[in-house]
Amino acid sequence: MTFELTHVALIGLGYLLLIFGIATITERDWLPRSITEHPVTYILSLGIFASAWAFYGVIDLAFQFGYGALAYYLGTGALFLFAPVALGPITELARRHQVHSLADLLVFRYHSHGIGALTSLCMLLGILPLMALQIQAIADTMHILTVSRDPAIPLVGTGLTFKDLMALTYCGILALFTVLFGSNRERHRGLITAMAFESLLKVFALCAIGLLAVYGVFDGFSGLDEWLERNPENLALLHSPIRDGASHTLLLVFVATAVTMPHIFHMGVAENPILRNTRTVTWAFPLFLLFLALPIFPILWAGFELSVPLPAQYFTLGVPILAESPSLTILAFIGGLSASTGAMVVITLALSTMVMNHWLLPFLRLRRRQDIYSQLVWLRRIVIAALFLGGYLFYWMLDNRQSLFHLALVAFIETLQFVPGIFAIVFWTRGNRRGVIAGLTVGTLVWFIGLLIPMLTGLEHINVPFGDGSLSVGISHWSEITVISLGLNTLIFIGVSLLTRQTEEEAYSAELCAADELSHPVRQALDVHSAAEFKTRLAKPLGKVTASREVDLALRQLGLGISERRPYALRRLRDQLEANLSGLMGIHVAGEIMDNHLPYKLAEARDTVDINLIENRLSQYRSHLTGLSAELNNLRLYHRKTLQELPMAVCSLGRDKEILMWNRAMAKLTGIEADDVLGSHLDDLVQPWCDLLVNFSGGDDAHLYRHEITLNKRPHWISLHKAAIKGPANHRRGSTIGQDDQVILLEDVTETQLLEQELIHSERLASVGRLAAGVAHEIGNPITGIACLCQNLRYESDNPEVLETAEQILSQTDRVTRIVQSLVSYSHSGHNKKSAFEAVRLRECAQEAIALLSLQKDKNPVTFSNDIAENAIVAGDQQQMIQVFINLLSNARDASDPEGRVMLESFEDEDNITLTVTDEGEGIDPDYLDQILEPFFTTKDPGEGTGLGLAMVYSIVDDHGGTLDIISPANPSTERGAQIVIKLPRHLDSVLSHIATDAPEKAD
Amino acid sequence: MNNQRLVILLLLIAYIFSPTLFTWIVNPEGAWYRPYIMWVLVIGIAYAVQARKKPS
Repeated sequence: MTFELTHVALIGLGYLLLIFGIATITERDWLPRSITEHPVTYILSLGIFASAWAFYGVIDLAFQFGYGALAYYLGTGALFLFAPVALGPITELARRHQVHSLADLLVFRYHSHGIGALTSLCMLLGILPLMALQIQAIADTMHILTVSRDPAIPLVGTGLTFKDLMALTYCGILALFTVLFGSNRERHRGLITAMAFESLLKVFALCAIGLLAVYGVFDGFSGLDEWLERNPENLALLHSPIRDGASHTLLLVFVATAVTMPHIFHMGVAENPILRNTRTVTWAFPLFLLFLALPIFPILWAGFELSVPLPAQYFTLGVPILAESPSLTILAFIGGLSASTGAMVVITLALSTMVMNHWLLPFLRLRRRQDIYSQLVWLRRIVIAALFLGGYLFYWMLDNRQSLFHLALVAFIETLQFVPGIFAIVFWTRGNRRGVIAGLTVGTLVWFIGLLIPMLTGLEHINVPFGDGSLSVGISHWSEITVISLGLNTLIFIGVSLLTRQTEEEAYSAELCAADELSHPVRQALDVHSAAEFKTRLAKPLGKVTASREVDLALRQLGLGISERRPYALRRLRDQLEANLSGLMGIHVAGEIMDNHLPYKLAEARDTVDINLIENRLSQYRSHLTGLSAELNNLRLYHRKTLQELPMAVCSLGRDKEILMWNRAMAKLTGIEADDVLGSHLDDLVQPWCDLLVNFSGGDDAHLYRHEITLNKRPHWISLHKAAIKGPANHRRGSTIGQDDQVILLEDVTETQLLEQELIHSERLASVGRLAAGVAHEIGNPITGIACLCQNLRYESDNPEVLETAEQILSQTDRVTRIVQSLVSYSHSGHNKKSAFEAVRLRECAQEAIALLSLQKDKNPVTFSNDIAENAIVAGDQQQMIQVFINLLSNARDASDPEGRVMLESFEDEDNITLTVTDEGEGIDPDYLDQILEPFFTTKDPGEGTGLGLAMVYSIVDDHGGTLDIISPANPSTERGAQIVIKLPRHLDSVLSHIATDAPEKAD
Repeated sequence: MNNQRLVILLLLIAYIFSPTLFTWIVNPEGAWYRPYIMWVLVIGIAYAVQARKKPS
């Protein structure tokens, strides 16, 4: 059965167009996202793992190794089965640092650009056979379908044949597809969906042919069993080869491929969120592999049964041809085409990333900086085209001499050389770049001499100066070469790593990558002080437009604003920018741009641990923590909460005065929210906190008591205490005093301070009172004597001058007596016993005071209006109450203008009587309001007032359990007048009797 | 946090002892598809483990 070439070409072209179409409609969102973003789509897209080799070559593998062939699926399946452990850390690293290829990952971990270039070279060498395999499979199958009358592959060494031309065309179309859908920067959703479809088709085709083998060739499973019984050598074939060591090596080779193969890394780690988002892949991908593996043996046996005149590797195609099923033949062809298409596209994408990032960009200076994106896209397109060409040339050079199995094996063994380096990324922090370079070089050399050169030249022995003088090489010794190359590689890697030292940057990256990555991310200082400055700095290497776009993008991703100034946020911005630029042009170039234009200062604060970053990461990974670490994290949260909720203001500072913690009480005291200051420098705080904290943290004293600051125009007193935090993180280097982190405790002692001041004040007043009483007593006696003598003098002389003098003396002694009496009564106030209080009618007291004051004709004539209610009765001392009114009213009169009015009013509630005395005078100067109740304070002219009047009123009111307020100005509209408001407790008995009799009655 | 060196060691041991296990699985006395049945079992276990995990 043969097909017309045009038919096959049309079918192939149609299939490629279908793949194009699927990619296009996905990119344009014509396919619902529920399909394109479904986990199944992602898992199926990982199926590019099964290239043409898995479609055709595996049958050959089964023929040679029996069950050993399953190692190919089981190895990879096992890796995905343990994905959370085996692939999780690497995927996480790739996500966090925007690592897009294995070379980037190695460069990131080992901090060596040489590794990037070496990895790209080894990978390119290793992958060429795999690309040749895909091209060879397509060329062969097209040839089988069209050219040969019997299905057979063409002779070896016939130069550029028609088949080769078909392969070239195929490569051209594929390159076009890759360039169109894979070279832009965004996540390639179209590519993923197309690859998922490709996997689906592949597994469907393989299963269909498997079913054809079982039901079409053997009449079902019972038929197959009978056939196996009749041909026991086929069953024996399953078991015998696996008894030698080769299958064991095979398993090792295949386990490694899932991480080291660039296309699987690209699809699984760089492009695909599946490994990060769900654990479904742990069982779903092995299930997918199971479907791929199931039909292998039935197809192999059907090939034997039908005596397919093809090598075992093309039984997948040969069986439906000989079973004379054109549709299944076409399906098998499309399945194979699909398998190699997927692999080729992703392999070239992955390799182009590596080649660009590690070979081209470091040495090429991009010309016009304005349009860096399109330059990158074009460069990548050229690289992709070159890679296809390279793959094709390699295929053409090999000239069909190698079976698919051998090609795959050569490729896999080379990628195996990366295993030690990758393993150390996550699990061995001591591994260093020298070790990797030495190990990888030696391993690759062994592979190159042992496998690649013999493959190209047919070499079988090489002469060596030891042993029997010659060493067998070539594909027939693949197992030994694998063990030797990998063994040497590993040994040299470990040995060199142990003997040489890591650089500081490498050690830092190693810790970042290691499983215990949260141990101590170091906080480094940046010499950039605002997000806007990033743009100007980056404008030089990237051009203004690109720099601005990149900085804006990074700020958006982090949820920060352009005005950001916090060092912590700026560090995160730098990391994000570096990661984004890595995605754009590789870790090497991005790192170089960052180091040149936004370098970290190698300050003395280098070893400071980035607490904010640790906290940030811990909260991100909280759900990942299990067991002991989860418990520890809970403990951490508890302690953190304790500090946060501590009813005292606490903040902690890093060595470089960066604020690391700011608890709730601190936020309340300062009025600055924690989110606004965390990670910022102490100098960026607002005043007065900035000066206070900067001076204190820099000072020698561990305590500062009652420092006065002004907040909201009012004085506050703060006590500060500090202690050094000598944490485990800080004793890596001998830290001296003042270089430790600090914890600072702030205590708001304003209340205490005010109370204390008040206490001191009253103590002073009390001593003044005692002094006054003593003085009054001492002066009283001689004054009485003087007054008596003066009285006598009046009777003993008629001399009018003497009499006049006597009158003067008497009036002066009267004045002294009055002063003395006031002093005595002031100092005696407070000695009343409340039990002696009786019901006092305020209206009557006021009336009496008014009557007394009216006698003083020489004073300012004012009108007193007594509107105090009749029933305003308080419990108190009547004489003292009269004194209160006399003092208040005389003050009011003195303050009033001539013919002014002084109003007395009262209000009552259930428990208190409130009485007010209001004048219409100047009011009280606000500056004096605080002092006006103090004894000896007066605003009157010297000789006019003693300054004891209001003090006495206050003292009496206080004795009566009342309160006194002063309102000035009393009339806000005129800004004049003063009002004294006195609130006194009611006399309850009189209230009751008043209710009972409804008539004024003198209470007891 | 997830330093799983022990798990790696376990995998290494599993790799070393896998020939024995492998020989048992592919014992010629059994049906040719016995490895596939074991495979399905493993997938089943993986599914059960995954399904039991609370979504994070």
